[in-house]
Amino acid sequence: MSLPSFQLLRPKTLDEAVALMAKHDGEAKIVAGGTDLLPSMKQKLFTPAYVLDLRGVGELRGIRNMPGNGVEIGALTTLTAIEHSAIIRKDYPVLYEAVKTVASPVLRNMGTLGGNVCLDTRCLWYNQSLLWRKSCGFCLKKDGNLCHVAPGGNFCWATFSGDTPPALLCLGAEVEIAGPEGLRRTPLSEFYVNDGIVRLHLAPNEIVTRVHLPEAAAGWRGSYQKLRVRGSIDYPLAGVAVALKMKSGRVEDARVAITALNPAPFLVKDADAQLIGMVPSEEIAERIGELAARTAKPLTTSALTPEYRREMVRVFAKRAVMQAAAN
Amino acid sequence: MPEETSKAVSRRRFIMGVIAGGAAVSAAGYLFRASTHHGNAPLIGAGERLITLNVNGRQRRVDVARQETLAWTLRYNLGLTGAKLGCDRGECGACTVLIDDVPHYSCSVLTHTVRSRKVTTIEGLAAADGTLHPVQQAMVDQHGSQCGFCTPGFMMTIKWLLANNPDPSEDEIRDALSSNLCRCTGYSQMYQAIRAAIDAEQKGTKQELVEAK
Ligand SMILES: Cc1cc2nc3c(=O)[nH]c(=O)nc-3n(C[C@H](O)[C@H](O)[C@H](O)COP(=O)(O)OP(=O)(O)OC[C@H]3O[C@@H](n4cnc5c(N)ncnc54)[C@H](O)[C@@H]3O)c2cc1C
Ligand code: SF4
Ligand code: FES
Ligand code: FES
Repeated sequence: MSLPSFQLLRPKTLDEAVALMAKHDGEAKIVAGGTDLLPSMKQKLFTPAYVLDLRGVGELRGIRNMPGNGVEIGALTTLTAIEHSAIIRKDYPVLYEAVKTVASPVLRNMGTLGGNVCLDTRCLWYNQSLLWRKSCGFCLKKDGNLCHVAPGGNFCWATFSGDTPPALLCLGAEVEIAGPEGLRRTPLSEFYVNDGIVRLHLAPNEIVTRVHLPEAAAGWRGSYQKLRVRGSIDYPLAGVAVALKMKSGRVEDARVAITALNPAPFLVKDADAQLIGMVPSEEIAERIGELAARTAKPLTTSALTPEYRREMVRVFAKRAVMQAAAN
Repeated sequence: MPEETSKAVSRRRFIMGVIAGGAAVSAAGYLFRASTHHGNAPLIGAGERLITLNVNGRQRRVDVARQETLAWTLRYNLGLTGAKLGCDRGECGACTVLIDDVPHYSCSVLTHTVRSRKVTTIEGLAAADGTLHPVQQAMVDQHGSQCGFCTPGFMMTIKWLLANNPDPSEDEIRDALSSNLCRCTGYSQMYQAIRAAIDAEQKGTKQELVEAK
């Protein structure tokens, strides 16, 4: 499959990148690792006039430990670099656990954290070639006016399918964003929009520059459990991250988040209330599974049935709690 | 280093000529799409399209459209057909090449983004005198491939694995192999080939040590 034609922009500094994105407002797409964008462009899901290759902007690459102030990860940092980072593995194990399940080792050499956080939502009816989509009359998310998953509705249920965001949500991460007005910072929990088309609170001319992990979450234990078809390479069809702050065998603080079940990744409400002050047990883990399953609204956007995926969230949330406590 | 001008243009003209002449056979659908891919290219000066790539230790001058992927350039502009196009969407690893010694799926890399970087393909793996890389030899000896379509991709991933980890565990080998897809059930033989190459290497090193004493 061939890529549609475009002009390639290759800035060397963040200032240059911001200026180019402002100049070509709405007409430029950022490419980082390209593992999500390029296959989608071949399917003509995006036909931008300009593609901005961010990888020349060296200042956006790398993991910076800021003692007393957490850790900052540049948007261009590859998933392999995060997987091999000693600080991440030691202080933010839930992120390490999630990163090493993304795609395949080669895709982790290519894929970046920024790309993973900004990943497009996915659906059986959307991630297909132009010919395939055309033969089905297209759909709301791209080129059409109806939804095949929930016909009659006016809403796109395409699923957010990144593995790192649930881990980052558990850690209370913030994203730094550069745009024509300068830099802004937003909690990751306010970055996503639960709508398969809108997806992100990110203007078309904005660039995600860094992800900040707060010091307060350093040392929390973690686990990430993921449902996929092939263990070697596939996107999640359900994913649960659990991070626990433990003190003398009891939970002092906790967060649970899910991915690949809704158009946005979500923190599971009230999970902390169930866990804080407790010694993790099968019974409590079971209750977290209930809450996670209630937060999940899977529809037929992927190869596995929604019923199965909802049931597996329950199982995986339970496993994740027990494993995080044991780690 | 010697500079080479690519023979690509003449090759592409040849292909388009074949299509225009109506002589296209089974592969023509693919090639025809290729020609529209170039036909759509925005008008950019030849200077911007003519770039130098460092491939297998040689500087190659080549005419590359903005939207061309590295797999495409290697195969159809530089004649390096070792890297295969399987899925063309980052799922199978048949197109794996090394960029600055790290494996990438070349179907999902824009050629213009690897200017000034070092590209190594399967054609650059054997020694200059044609001696196969130890793992290549082991793959031959252990019947590590059947149809062979996936083999160049696997070789690049394995080369990277062993360069960083000369004595990987079984799990580490299996994990590395998970980047590439073989539909002929060659995984066990490939695993054995890697083990055999490592064992031979270690034996060789020990032998050298003994001889050196
Ligand atoms: C076969 C296959 C399997 C995969 N499996 C998984 C999986 O299991 N789990 C998973 O999470 N992902 C998976 N992926 C998706 C992808 O490889 C990863 O999510 C990767 O981290 C994406 O990063 P990238 O740098 O390649 O993104 P790109 O493709 O470069 O970009 C992705 C999107 O984010 C935007 N973007 C990128 N960087 C920025 C930035 N700094 N600011 C603003 N916007 C930006 C781009 O415009 C684009 O829309 C898979 C992909 C493939 C092909
Ligand atoms: S959920 Fe509906 S609108 Fe959204 S991508 Fe799927 S079919 Fe299209
Ligand atoms: S052809 Fe590149 S991964 Fe399949
Ligand atoms: S040998 Fe045929 S695909 Fe691997």
